[in-house]
Amino acid sequence: MMNALEHTLMPVAEKLGRNKLLVAIRDGFLITTPLIIVASLFLLFNNFPIPGWSEFWAGIFGEGWQAWLSNVSRAVFNLVGFLSCFGTAYAYGRELKTDAIQAAGVAIVAFIILTPTDLTLKGGTSIIGLDTEYLGTNGIFLGLVVALVAVRVYAFAALRGWTIKMPAGVPPAVADSFAALIPSGLVMGLFFLIRIGMGLTPFGTVHQFIFESLQTPLKGAGNTLFAQIIYGLACTLFWSFGINGPAVANSVFAPVTKVLTMENLDAFEAGRELPNIFTDPFSNFFTNFGGGGSTLSLLIVMVLFCKSKRIKELGKLSLLPGIFGINEPIIFGLPVVLNPIILIPFNLVPLMNLLLSTLVTRLGIIPYTTGVALPWTTPVGFSGYLATGSWVASVYQLLLLLLGCAVYYPFIKMLDKKYLADEQVAGASLDETDELSFDDLALDLDAEA
Amino acid sequence: MGKNIYLFCSQGMSTSLLAQKMQTVADHHQLPVTVVAKPHGTLPQTVATEAVDVIMLGPQVKYLYEETLAAYGKRRPVILIDAADYGAMNGERVLKQALLGLKQARQ
Repeated sequence: MMNALEHTLMPVAEKLGRNKLLVAIRDGFLITTPLIIVASLFLLFNNFPIPGWSEFWAGIFGEGWQAWLSNVSRAVFNLVGFLSCFGTAYAYGRELKTDAIQAAGVAIVAFIILTPTDLTLKGGTSIIGLDTEYLGTNGIFLGLVVALVAVRVYAFAALRGWTIKMPAGVPPAVADSFAALIPSGLVMGLFFLIRIGMGLTPFGTVHQFIFESLQTPLKGAGNTLFAQIIYGLACTLFWSFGINGPAVANSVFAPVTKVLTMENLDAFEAGRELPNIFTDPFSNFFTNFGGGGSTLSLLIVMVLFCKSKRIKELGKLSLLPGIFGINEPIIFGLPVVLNPIILIPFNLVPLMNLLLSTLVTRLGIIPYTTGVALPWTTPVGFSGYLATGSWVASVYQLLLLLLGCAVYYPFIKMLDKKYLADEQVAGASLDETDELSFDDLALDLDAEA
Repeated sequence: MGKNIYLFCSQGMSTSLLAQKMQTVADHHQLPVTVVAKPHGTLPQTVATEAVDVIMLGPQVKYLYEETLAAYGKRRPVILIDAADYGAMNGERVLKQALLGLKQARQ
């Protein structure tokens, strides 16, 4: 059965990993994520969850100090759709082997072509400007769609060499400078027509159309416990065969969880009620501790209660990376991969964490996550507090971590017993690689030169 | 000039740990080798702009091996790191694999 499963999962991972559209979306978010994290720090400082915080700083800098910091967080959050468009367009341009930065440039222009630029002020005066309503969270999906379409068209024209032919005698560098003209013209012309065409429909703007027909339904589907269970199982199931689960699953889920997270962040910034449970911080910090499979729980049991040399050594080696959520040493070293004993708790513990965390959040015992983006390497305890602003969440995290230890305990003890028996029978065995000496592998660099 | 060994996994996080260990072993034996860890997404760019003598893939991205071999394997060895060595973060064994790959490629 394990074999059959591996033969189904490998091609799926391969297909998703090779799909240029999905890779572009995933890598595009890699470009915006650091910006969101830094802006989150500014927002967090602005709203730090300690009573008297705001008054304390107002005493030093005067009333209105928060406006300075808001400027930084708004520079990212209110443009997150626009930035997603830029990042994805760049990544997609790179995937299609065309001029990536030129392609990203034309994609953000296409995005703005679709955006209304006439604003009516309350008094009735009309001005030219951009409403960040269109460029922020609500524009994430549109940003992705525009990036993919614009860059596809751009690359199509550019790779076919559609360019203005210069008469012989014109320096090649001059001719090259026109290379981007026709591809860019095609993209901008196309989006010009799309904008006019959409104006004739009841939607009015492409923003409205994509928001209603794509973003809202997909977000609704992703914001369910069912979808989260599928996501969680996909992550651990892929890891069970040694494939980086989140890297595969995120290529499908990332746009949706990004929207859910940003909606909370927008609400947090505006001081409104937080709308969504299933954000990125929720799944990063309340379903898995120490990496996929919640292996920090496993690690604690390994270090404290196991006796075999193999497990003890591995535990020591993995502890520090494990605290920061990096668990490949355990996954491949214990190993978790294809290990029928450990795979049971490895898949069950995150599921248990997900169900319990959803329950305690629904019951109001821990608050909703504010959407403040933290690096997924933030250690347990700190992450709970920073993600929700409540110490209760930190305490809850630690309890959940201990509960995970209890689930892992019987399984790892079984493995420990087996390794202990093996160790008493056999000494260390060396294979060919161990017997190679670095002298045999001398690089002969002189001979080469 | 020394040789540059590049390790790739999905985010370059855990491979950076292994790269560090390999570098320590290499320095200890005074081998003219530089070991670098990077996310797999940066592979095309890295190969285009830097001197990559060996590409090594972490086991968590083994599904990208065939593709990587086809794209970059003609000019340099592409090696899938053994899962057990990776788990044990055994810098010495992985370094030996890399050097062995280099040696075989030369013959």
